[in-house]
Amino acid sequence: MTPDTFGALRGQLLDAARAFAPTTGTDEAADASDALARILSGMVDDVDRALAEELEIFPVCHHSPASALAMVRRLREKQPKVVYLELCEDLRPLLDELRNCRLPVALQAFASDLDGFPPGAGPLSVVAPITEASAEYQAIAYALDTPGVELVLVDRSTDHVFQWLPDEPAEPARPAPSGGDEDAAERGEEAALHGDAVGIEIGDLRPRFAELEAHLLHHGKVRHWSEWWDQYVEQPLTGADYDTYRQVMVLIGSLFRRLRPSEDERTSRDEERERYMWTRMREHLAASGADPADCLYVCGAYHAASRVEQFGLASDAPYEIGPRTGTRWLYGLIPSSHSAIEAQFGLAPGSVSIAAATWSKAVTRFRDTPFRLDGQKGAAKRAKRALPPPATSAAAPVADRLSGFLSSPPALDGLDEAELLAWCVDIVRLARRNGYLASTADAIAVFETSVLLAGMRNRARPTPYDFQDAAVTCIEKDVVPGRRDVRRLCEILLGGDRIGQVGYEALPPLARDVYDRLEPLGVDLEKRTLQRALLDLTTKPELARCSDLLWILRRLLPEDAVRPVMGERRLGERSVQESWDLAIGRHQRSIIELGYEGVTVEQVLEQRLRRTAWDAKATAAVALGAVEDAILYLGGGRIADELGARAVELLSAERTVDDAPDVLRRIRRLLAYYRAAQPALPEWCEAFVTTGYAHYCTLLPTAFVDEETGVRQVAAMLGFLFSMESLALSLGCDRAQLEIAVLQSHPEAPAKVALLWAARSQLGVLTMAELRERCDALLANPLVVPSFPMYLSGFVQALEPAPALAPFVVELMSKAFARLPDAVLLPWLPKLITTLRDQAGELVPVLVREAGRTFPAALPSLDAFVPPWSARPAGAAAKAGPGPRPGAVRGGGGPAAELLSGHRAACDAVAALLGCDGGWQEIADAGGDPGEAAALLARHPGTADAVAALLHG
Amino acid sequence: MTDDMLRAPAEVKYAEELDWLESIDDGPKPFSWRLSPRMVRLFVLGSERSDGLDREISQKWFGDRSFVERSIVTLASDRGLLLIGDPGTGKSWLAELLSAAICRNSTLVVQGTAGTTEDHIKYSWNVSMVIAKGQSRESMIPSPIMTAMERGVIGRFEELTRSTSDVQDALISILSEKYVSIPELDDDNIVFAKPGFSIIATANSRDRGVNDLSSALKRRFNFVRIPVVTSKRSEAEIVRFRTTELLRRHRIDLDLPPTLLDILLQSFADLRAAAASATSDDEKLESALSTAEQIGVLEDAILHSQFFGDRTLRAETLAGSLVGSLARRSPEDLAILNKYWHGVVEPRGKKDGGEWQEFLEGGRKAIATLS
Repeated sequence: MTPDTFGALRGQLLDAARAFAPTTGTDEAADASDALARILSGMVDDVDRALAEELEIFPVCHHSPASALAMVRRLREKQPKVVYLELCEDLRPLLDELRNCRLPVALQAFASDLDGFPPGAGPLSVVAPITEASAEYQAIAYALDTPGVELVLVDRSTDHVFQWLPDEPAEPARPAPSGGDEDAAERGEEAALHGDAVGIEIGDLRPRFAELEAHLLHHGKVRHWSEWWDQYVEQPLTGADYDTYRQVMVLIGSLFRRLRPSEDERTSRDEERERYMWTRMREHLAASGADPADCLYVCGAYHAASRVEQFGLASDAPYEIGPRTGTRWLYGLIPSSHSAIEAQFGLAPGSVSIAAATWSKAVTRFRDTPFRLDGQKGAAKRAKRALPPPATSAAAPVADRLSGFLSSPPALDGLDEAELLAWCVDIVRLARRNGYLASTADAIAVFETSVLLAGMRNRARPTPYDFQDAAVTCIEKDVVPGRRDVRRLCEILLGGDRIGQVGYEALPPLARDVYDRLEPLGVDLEKRTLQRALLDLTTKPELARCSDLLWILRRLLPEDAVRPVMGERRLGERSVQESWDLAIGRHQRSIIELGYEGVTVEQVLEQRLRRTAWDAKATAAVALGAVEDAILYLGGGRIADELGARAVELLSAERTVDDAPDVLRRIRRLLAYYRAAQPALPEWCEAFVTTGYAHYCTLLPTAFVDEETGVRQVAAMLGFLFSMESLALSLGCDRAQLEIAVLQSHPEAPAKVALLWAARSQLGVLTMAELRERCDALLANPLVVPSFPMYLSGFVQALEPAPALAPFVVELMSKAFARLPDAVLLPWLPKLITTLRDQAGELVPVLVREAGRTFPAALPSLDAFVPPWSARPAGAAAKAGPGPRPGAVRGGGGPAAELLSGHRAACDAVAALLGCDGGWQEIADAGGDPGEAAALLARHPGTADAVAALLHG
Repeated sequence: MTDDMLRAPAEVKYAEELDWLESIDDGPKPFSWRLSPRMVRLFVLGSERSDGLDREISQKWFGDRSFVERSIVTLASDRGLLLIGDPGTGKSWLAELLSAAICRNSTLVVQGTAGTTEDHIKYSWNVSMVIAKGQSRESMIPSPIMTAMERGVIGRFEELTRSTSDVQDALISILSEKYVSIPELDDDNIVFAKPGFSIIATANSRDRGVNDLSSALKRRFNFVRIPVVTSKRSEAEIVRFRTTELLRRHRIDLDLPPTLLDILLQSFADLRAAAASATSDDEKLESALSTAEQIGVLEDAILHSQFFGDRTLRAETLAGSLVGSLARRSPEDLAILNKYWHGVVEPRGKKDGGEWQEFLEGGRKAIATLS
């Protein structure tokens, strides 16, 4: 290349800079003019420099079909022996596995054991998605399948990615492109395929600050970056020759490089990467002795216009590559999708799909044969032909292609009428299928509108974006009838989202193991739809292993990956039939990421259980939960014992009793399980009970007084103490400890006082009669009545430690309902109900059963009902009075007297009115003299019968 | 001419600009359009240096370019255009600008109401003339839509969904057959639409369900949905543009301090965010908080300072107007504003001081007066 290849262009640009310069003549104006001249000529210099480099630089842009096409052509022409690729160098071993996958997939590096990064930064995850329509895939496929070609990844390792990241790990969020977010929910799942990993892409080429991008979009009269790129770079370059392609790409890279915010952290990071890459390439060339003429360096166009001093093979500027941290990185492939890539890199929805469609169209049109890895999944089988020998023409001097490119409008294709017609017809069909009332008339309208829109936007033929706009205009009405709107349908039509899949061979051992072990189910796990698996464990006992695995997966994977429809697994329970909804294909990433934690799911679960139990924040309840899980999923044994021992340790170290209800529930369940399943209790269980007994006895007096400790917690403590008492005593505990603890307790809160009474009654210190007396006194005392509900709440909670109190609680509750004034009762009722529901769900049946026993079952008997606590026991009645008092109505039985004595209020009122103060008289034996009233009734039975019928009826 | 009118229609107001555009327009024009589609877009969205024009064309409607393009293209096609969106999003203004640019007549308007009848869309009769001379074309009163058909220009139908379904359906035949027959007359009884005729209708998306469009009518309209402006920058542009226009109309010479505009935009943005997170209607202001509402608030404040103040717009006055315009229901709206003032404006006033502090005081006073 002669030094002044671009001389003419440079001159022209400098003239332009002068012409644009402000004419005011101030210093600032002169500066501005200089700056413009510097930028314009600098861009040409960059192109000149990149093209003059001894090592051929191939500038690319991510997801650009034009880059991919140029790559295919160049590789076929040059057939380099070494391909250097801008990709993290430690991802190299993964590339061989690409052939086992259906693209797009993402290369992932993952680390959870951090060493050298700030604690709490993990887990670290990096993804680099690879699509088929990308230049890098062409380079990879060529290099891996052509004998004698070496593929060298030269970018910094994933470890350096995080080392160089600023403290805030997220990349600056790009503005979300407009439109198409109505069906975000549907898309969300596919878009979230990468999780929260940091994305890296080969050939990131985009303005580095928002104003520049906004400016380009505004003047380009397009809506988003992908459309701009498609119109101004992609289309003109698709059919361009290699020289034009290269020069234009470097020019754009240089433009964005020169127009960037100064002091940008990202820029310095990029420069660091460039130093890294050039150093690595020089090292490789020196080590392998390869001829630079046989090498190709594939990097983003941005890096092709680099100005770092290490640029170029001729440079010998030193650069020391920093060491990696001690973090252990794990590598794998995870499925990706077009929408995930769009979401990760802030591209407009549908743009990657459109790029893929453009790529396949261009391949057919230009009759290029793209490279494809042998055995690539999801691709049509093609007979592989040997590459023709490389073009031997000597490197021709590079001519200036930029001037032509810049000065003439891009040569666009004419209207591809057949294609547009097919789109119009298809979109109408698709819209109809999705509930739109679209017809052929709409197809015609879409066609016409697309052409008009393209004309208005200065385009010779409608782009997919014009077509999309036209379809939205003509078909979309005020409501979207189905799940997808027209914009989304267009995206589906123009390529649709493609979701990749990692092939079996490329899966980590754990995932392969899962797939193998689930094979007996006879379900296709690769499908992305929901699969139903039916397991009849009685007729096919061999499926029990699958069932075990499914339960473990349920514990480890996200909520909807495997979901039991029928069947459950609890301590000591196993279903004989199970039915599962499996979405393993959809959650492949989660399974692959489990693979980073261990070799089998059991191992992963064991590790996780240990981690939770030995966590700094773990409590006894958490450890008991882990024991439960260990028994449920891992069959108990050694691990359960270890976790149990840990639970004992945690319990004795605890200083609060917040978790007491949880602890009680879990240890009860575990004890019940061990008693039923094993001849003897495991040691840790015994230790737990004795430790717990002593522990809770010690804490009881404080818990009773402490305002922070709730009634429920204290109730649970008492529950532990009373229900484990026999076991604890048999293991050597002393009951005196509990008695003293109760004696030491002096609560003040009404609910806790009630609890204490209940505890004392359970201990036998307080008789039921005394308890009843105390409660009646409370009800009788108008000063205490407002707080009575609190006492009652305490008693309800006391059912936990003292279930025998159920009849008494029913009695108390009935009294409360009968006697509490509405102003106290009504506000408390909702609270009672919520307390019962939230905290004492298991106690409600006990209460209801007891109430059912106490109260009459039928309405008629309600009238004659005397609650057991009102009916005085015989002994008490005898004490109350020696017998019928004088003047008692003799033989006054019969319905009338019963009725009157049953409803005394009316009689009392009448008596008060009449000034009669005789009071009520005892009714004598039914066997006595019937008396005058009875005689009267006997003579005129009609009235009495009618009243009786009315009352009973 | 514009001086005699309280509010001149767009074609009168921008007559000179339209003339000039027409004189330089060499693009292909559909039907009898006065401007080519690209020039129509230029008229609505304004020019840039890159357009290479000798004079600057101001931007008159603020919003996504593609909405305007889609609207123009629809009018050039066979279908009617239905602009749909929340109140205050500038639908009618866009309709007016488009009609003015395309056919220099934006006044052929039918206002849809519950009382709109088919006569308003087709034709009615001058009863005295019918008695005197019988039914003839002279005694017929054509509707604005029919006039638009006869002249081959754009007819407008405002608030389409406010009129009843049978009235709406009268549009179906107009939009598909493009003629109206007059069965009362024996001859000359069909009015054919001339090329260039189309209809721009507007509909309020909050009215959905009042009188739903039939699917037959929906099919004959292309829908362009105009969203509420959420970008602060373009909203500022709109408010500034409209307010300047209002000031000019009222002949008021008053400065609009940018900091006050910021305060207004910020408070609307805050209130919108609050409305979005509200769970019941009681926690939401009744107002839609549209850009038009902001303009209303600002106009009110300006008029207030002009006639009752010292001819300078102050944050205090602005706060008073804001509270006055937004507090429609008592106590719900007042409670929300009170919460906003004490929860958001107060800390901001303490932090930023200056005009926020004045704004705080003014708002407090206004709320206290209304409560």
